[in-house]
Amino acid sequence: MFADARFGYLERIRFGLGYITTPVYWVADIPTRVSFLIDDVFVSRTDLLEENDDLRANLLIAQRELQLLESLVSENNRLLALNEATRGINGDVLAAEIINISPDPYSKRVLINKGAREGVFVGQALLDANGLMGQVDEVLPLTSWVLLITDSHHVTPVEVNRNGERALARGSSSTASELELVFVTQTQDIKVGDGLVSSGMGQVYPKNYPVAEIVSVFADPGQDFATIKARPLAQLASTRHVMLVFNSEQAQTSVRGAADILEPDFPAVEAVIIDSVDASTTTADQIPQAASDAAVQ
Amino acid sequence: MQDRAHSIWVIFLSFFIAYLLAIVPFPEWAMNYRPEWVPMVLIYWTMALPYRVGIGSAWAVGLVLDVLEGSTLGMNALALVVVAYVALSLHQRMRMFSTLQQSGLVLALVGLNLMLCNWLQIVTGQSVSSNLMFLMAALTSAVIWPSLFQLLRQIRRSFDVH
Repeated sequence: MFADARFGYLERIRFGLGYITTPVYWVADIPTRVSFLIDDVFVSRTDLLEENDDLRANLLIAQRELQLLESLVSENNRLLALNEATRGINGDVLAAEIINISPDPYSKRVLINKGAREGVFVGQALLDANGLMGQVDEVLPLTSWVLLITDSHHVTPVEVNRNGERALARGSSSTASELELVFVTQTQDIKVGDGLVSSGMGQVYPKNYPVAEIVSVFADPGQDFATIKARPLAQLASTRHVMLVFNSEQAQTSVRGAADILEPDFPAVEAVIIDSVDASTTTADQIPQAASDAAVQ
Repeated sequence: MQDRAHSIWVIFLSFFIAYLLAIVPFPEWAMNYRPEWVPMVLIYWTMALPYRVGIGSAWAVGLVLDVLEGSTLGMNALALVVVAYVALSLHQRMRMFSTLQQSGLVLALVGLNLMLCNWLQIVTGQSVSSNLMFLMAALTSAVIWPSLFQLLRQIRRSFDVH
């Protein structure tokens, strides 16, 4: 037991036992899947038409926002190229589903239905439609455990969207689903209603994903730091559909890590890594070119 | 030979169902009251068939439970081994006990299991509850024990597990 807690050479044993435990999760998930199936099958035509209309309207709004966003992204890239700064990470995503939650009420972890077979790696960021949810904590063959940002052992590096003020958001130590901003001095400019986005520091989470919203700020003059609470934007308790983020740098380590677990001598890995390095250098080259193009226009 | 294969199948199935019940999501407020199905099924089988299910089986059962719950590998295994040891050494007396006395013993054994798990979590530096509400699971387990005992005995007799 201490070998597992302190060292971690039992990873392979856990990995192997993961094959045994998969059927249990599969069976435990049947009621949910049946209820989804029933929802899908027994749905009236009018409901479908209504939903279709709603979705179409939403798509239109989303497309409009996307157009705005594209122009913003290109503008941002131009500005960043001028500043010679690194570009924001814009990775691929893999859709996943939450199939179980941790039976221990004090550890906020969820189980997702993607594992080493799909290339999931430890430290990978998990998002839902509204914001950041957590990071992958343990990878099993077909499933993985994700540590949520509200777990008391988890700290998310964030910044305030309004003014770029940086902070660390730690999960609440109670069972409540909220975040506490730690080590924020009383004079820092953080207000109720401010949005928090991931700052990309620590290099676990991609930059600029929405994380939480400040719900209370309490500055006690007797304390060193202010007590600030935030509510996560992701639907941690109710969502089922989530996304795993792959970005180019982390994908390399993931390919290496997965190959380590699956097969120590895997010749194709080197090629993949080199490919992705090539890809990243070409994109880096293209930025100044894009900037000069823009300047010409 | 046929009988033996039969019996093992039933025991495996009972543990499989206990695993299911142990990980099925519960509402937040009810988390602390979830009966400890796996230790209870283990106590039953060590009591009924001490020559089939013993400390080794308890260890294997605990390891699988650890992977299922995503806890430190060996935590449940160690706690269940202790429970199985106590149940094994008391199995002659447990068979003589009335239902109420058995429930009391299950309360103590499941409580022991929970305390061990909690202590091991503290030792390995994981997040644990600050109050003793987690022990409520022992109470619900003791309440459920008589019906579980009847059910498992019916199953054992109808499938002639020995």
